[in-house]
Amino acid sequence: MRRISRITVAGAATASLALALSACGGTSTSSGSDDGDKGLAIAYDVGGEGDQSFNDAAHAGLQRAEKEFGYKTAAIEPTDGETNADKEQRLVSLAKQGYNPVVGVGYAYAAPLKAAAERYPDTTFGIVDDATIEAENVADLVYNEEQASYLAGVAAAKSTKTKTVGFVGGVDNPLIHKFQAGYEQGVKDTDPKVKVVAQYLTQTAEEGGFASPDKGKTAAEGQIEKKADVVYAAAGLSGQGVIEAAAANKIWAIGVDSDQYKQEALAKYKDSILTSATKDVASAVYSLAKSVEDGKPETGIVRGDLKSGEIGLSDSNPKFADDAELQAAIKTAKEKIISGEIKVKSS
Amino acid sequence: MKKFDKERVLLAVAGPVIALAVAFVLSAIVLIASGKNPVEPFALMFEQAGFSDIQVLIVNQASMYYIAALAVAIGFRMNLFNIGVDGQYQLAAMTAAIVGAHADLPAALQIPLLLLTAVLTGAFWSGIAGVLKMTRGVSEVVATIMLNSIATAVIGYLWLPDVFGVKIGNNNTTGEMHESGWVPGIDMGAAGEIYGLVILAVVLGIGYWLVLNRTRFGFDLRASGASESAAAASGVNPKRMVLTAMLISGGLAGLAGLPILLGDTHTYSLNFPTGIGFLGIGIALLGRNSPVGIAFAALLWAWLDKASPELDFHGYDKEIAVIMQGLIVLAVVVSYEAVREWGLRRQQRRVGAELAAGHVLGATDNTEKEVAGR
Amino acid sequence: MTAVELAGITKRFPGVVANHDIHLTVRKGTVHALVGENGAGKSTLMKILYGMQKPDEGTIATDGEQVTFSSPADAIARGIGMVHQHFMLADNLTVLENVVLGSEKLYGIGARARRRIKEISERYGLGVRPDVLVEELGVAARQRVEILKVLYRGARTLILDEPTAVLVPQEVDALFDNLRELKSEGLSVIFISHKLGEVLSVADEITVIRRGTTVGTAVPAETTPRQLAELMVGSELPTPETAESTVTDRAVLTVDTLRLAAPGGKALLDDISFTIHAGEVLGIAGVEGNGQTELVDALIGLRHADSGTIRFLDQDITALPTRKRREQGVGYIPEDRHRHGLLLEAPLWENRILGHVTEKPNSKGVWLDPKGSQEDTRRIVETYDVRTPGIDVTAASLSGGNQQKLIVGREMSHKPRFLIAAHPTRGVDVGAQAAIWDHIREARREGLAVLLISADLDELIGLSDTLRVIYDGRLVADADPAAVTPEELGSAMTGAASGHLEHEEPPGDDGSGAGGAEDDDGSGAGGAEDGDGSGAGEAGGDGGPGAEKIPGDAGRGVDKTPGDAGSGAEGEAR
Repeated sequence: MRRISRITVAGAATASLALALSACGGTSTSSGSDDGDKGLAIAYDVGGEGDQSFNDAAHAGLQRAEKEFGYKTAAIEPTDGETNADKEQRLVSLAKQGYNPVVGVGYAYAAPLKAAAERYPDTTFGIVDDATIEAENVADLVYNEEQASYLAGVAAAKSTKTKTVGFVGGVDNPLIHKFQAGYEQGVKDTDPKVKVVAQYLTQTAEEGGFASPDKGKTAAEGQIEKKADVVYAAAGLSGQGVIEAAAANKIWAIGVDSDQYKQEALAKYKDSILTSATKDVASAVYSLAKSVEDGKPETGIVRGDLKSGEIGLSDSNPKFADDAELQAAIKTAKEKIISGEIKVKSS
Repeated sequence: MKKFDKERVLLAVAGPVIALAVAFVLSAIVLIASGKNPVEPFALMFEQAGFSDIQVLIVNQASMYYIAALAVAIGFRMNLFNIGVDGQYQLAAMTAAIVGAHADLPAALQIPLLLLTAVLTGAFWSGIAGVLKMTRGVSEVVATIMLNSIATAVIGYLWLPDVFGVKIGNNNTTGEMHESGWVPGIDMGAAGEIYGLVILAVVLGIGYWLVLNRTRFGFDLRASGASESAAAASGVNPKRMVLTAMLISGGLAGLAGLPILLGDTHTYSLNFPTGIGFLGIGIALLGRNSPVGIAFAALLWAWLDKASPELDFHGYDKEIAVIMQGLIVLAVVVSYEAVREWGLRRQQRRVGAELAAGHVLGATDNTEKEVAGR
Repeated sequence: MTAVELAGITKRFPGVVANHDIHLTVRKGTVHALVGENGAGKSTLMKILYGMQKPDEGTIATDGEQVTFSSPADAIARGIGMVHQHFMLADNLTVLENVVLGSEKLYGIGARARRRIKEISERYGLGVRPDVLVEELGVAARQRVEILKVLYRGARTLILDEPTAVLVPQEVDALFDNLRELKSEGLSVIFISHKLGEVLSVADEITVIRRGTTVGTAVPAETTPRQLAELMVGSELPTPETAESTVTDRAVLTVDTLRLAAPGGKALLDDISFTIHAGEVLGIAGVEGNGQTELVDALIGLRHADSGTIRFLDQDITALPTRKRREQGVGYIPEDRHRHGLLLEAPLWENRILGHVTEKPNSKGVWLDPKGSQEDTRRIVETYDVRTPGIDVTAASLSGGNQQKLIVGREMSHKPRFLIAAHPTRGVDVGAQAAIWDHIREARREGLAVLLISADLDELIGLSDTLRVIYDGRLVADADPAAVTPEELGSAMTGAASGHLEHEEPPGDDGSGAGGAEDDDGSGAGGAEDGDGSGAGEAGGDGGPGAEKIPGDAGRGVDKTPGDAGSGAEGEAR
């Protein structure tokens, strides 16, 4: 009696599922229509809009393109614990709707973007922070972050009084290792006696390493306790906490990605922001959009380095800009890197 | 008898249906409160369920949810809360990926080897909590939460380039697995591929039912969950049962990540999905620890996951799906308990009523017997 | 003046009637004891009085005024407070904090509250210090804090639920002093207990409750423990007479110097030795909590003996796990069927499998055989007259008696050679009781060895072939059920008598001497006097001082000449 009913239920379930699969032949991407003028679309990395850093920089580029080219843009957030299939779905969905170019922010998009690019050969794709995709219609927007970090290291070594500087990395992954490597090299080359205390907030991005100002704050406070008086945060949104702690303890913080001195959310603490190691994701995204608009889409590896100016050290803080000795040291280092005299390690 | 069967079906269905209805209504209220159309998002999501590519995504995702939820459920059946499924499946997927990248046997051996690796890793990780509970009385909840954390650290260590890590661009991976370990998918044409290991999930579901309901061991396990004291008196060694249940739960958990690992990514990288173990808890709750119930719950969850991104294109926040998942879990806990008590009381009343009416199995000569007994 | 009056209280739970037409009147300024066996319905009654449950019928009146309580808050507002058996104190808070917790409105949480606590403490001699952490307090001090907590909330009637269960004798005396203090201040105390000696020493009035209803009241000055025991267990029940002896000389179970210790080292069971033969029912009498539970656990294998051996047939089973023991033919009717005998939310046929999952017809190899067990469940339901509409209903929906019949049927179905029957008819209606007795007797005829533990002395006497008395973890006395009376058993159960119980054995609390002294040279006379009445306790009390010297003698004298003394005494007593 009971057994039969169970089997019936299971059978009905399977049957209805199979029916659903076969009956609805259409895919979500085969239907739908192209309506109107669609341009740049970006798919965010973990942290999403409002991280005052990496994702926001991409968004700035998006806004600029939107304003300039007057077309419709889109910016989509990821969900927690999603798979590559979800990312691919997102990119495909954007491409299908007619957005061009479609940019994946972050290396996590590498495999899905590659697959999406194969399915939409006529759309230009861009990926930030990844150089593994080789396809006609994909532009790899990568940066030599270690070079900017090297300059940040020079600035830190020159500014420290306690001979101790700190580094806070958001997540213990290869990308952030580049920041740390460049920074440490810059510090050592400038003053071998300066000690670098380094810390990563979490092992994985899911644990919130890029999105937890509280974690950043705690880490920075720990480093301040160890006498660090300049702290460099390569930690996305978590960097806000680092800057906050620095301001509270009247020491220097070095921001990352965007020029954080200028950000409204951090206006309260801006006097403690010595400088920021910028990575001009905004202009890279914008350039890509512009190249598409101009009919000559970028392709292959598009590298931003000191030479191209897409990475650098901001000088919005007058105390930093007006320090002639510091500026001289940075200028020398910058020239040496561009000329190839200094090779900055990336790990 | 027939009446009681209907009763059981009614009781089994009432809980989830009430919970879902409440969750839908509450979600709609949230939408209204934020000044949005409370119906359109659901319409959009239902529409998504009709697309075959979304269906493939749903089935694929559900297969992992399903296995994770089975792992949680087997713990629940014996009153153990294995909250560490998350760490267990991640670690197991990683070791399987590492073995898959370094061993290269023929597929007929390679795939079983990978499955076994994952099962053993998961069982080992949960077994630590089991041994701690058995010998020192450490709550498995605390132990498995800690082990989740440790698993993350172990994974970070294994990713180091001089251990098993292989860097690809800015991503940490374990290197690509040998192709003999790839499980071919079921090709659905333009809709994509269904992971081959979806079949494994189905097999595990059937096995779960068989073991629990049709074996002596399963009876002992269920008895332990229903009443530890009664089970002990019936001859179950409670400590050993704790360890066994933890090992099985962990072993199952170990398989949760394999459909995507062997079917799609072929490497354990930073992109590997996390959090499936935690979602498995809610799914097991919603599915009432029954293999069929969990299947529906897993599909429902996967649908909410896969249909909600579309909302972003229509001016709604896809987080409404996350809110809904949370509401479902809350509603489920409340409604199941209420329905259970209601059902129990109802049955007692019915038994009382039937006895009063004289519908008693057998024994029509009750009075006689009583007299004889004197 | 009555403080509290309960009239005609009836409370039904699905399948059982917990309270039936209960009457209880507590006068002001008295300690009123409520006595009864575990499961008699005391707790339910007090939950009703304290507002935790609503009665189905009957009325509650406080100070002569009829009231209805829908929550403990209502009861407290009416001056009724409850001190639970398990203290409800937060260890990491101070006494003051614990007391004011939840009653912050009364006297605030600061100096005023502290003053009030000190005031109460002094007035009733509780000796409570407000600023000590509760975790630093001993059990007795915690109990006083609980009492103070209740007084602080303005209680005029205190319910103490088994307050002495957790105390050592000196602490019990101190508690009783506190209670007298309360009483002299005009407060009333309802004192729940099943320890008769204590009840008699502290109570002004006693109400006895049995099988959910009040069976009598007593005044301590005019009552002996034996009379009280009689009231508690009842003797008007159908007598389970065992017709002819079926005892054989084949030993089925032999226990030798068994010892079981609590984690702290205190012996729960010590020096337990006995043998049960095929066809023999060995009855164990004793006040609850004297080691019966532990003995059963040791026999079924839930706990393992620290020393001593258990032999079953020709095998040493001391180290065997529970399942092996059950497979080899040890049947088990547990004391608490809800905890140890049933899966309440599982259907009957699954309950039929419980405990015998490895045996036919429940399984074939590693696989369960649901069909087999379902069929067999139907058979049990019929044979054992389990009244149920079907085998798919949950065990919880059956009444207690029917649940018990199912358990008995299940255990008997596996042809046990040794049956542990702990309180086999507790909470069972009269009809089912007779049926269960019948089944035990029948199996005994077929050579079953039974260990019977019961609080119902008539049951013990009527069913057993041999009787032993357990007191404080030891088997202190034995008796021939054909010759012993419930009164005599009762006195041994309180530890007053030991050795072989016969009619010459002087019963009574502290007066073993009085009779014993006279018995020194011949046991006939003293025993004869005792045989007819309950006044012996008082007589013994009088003779106390002189008797102190020679209790040992008395015991020894009895031991030496059981046969002679027994027959002599019996002859004269009848």
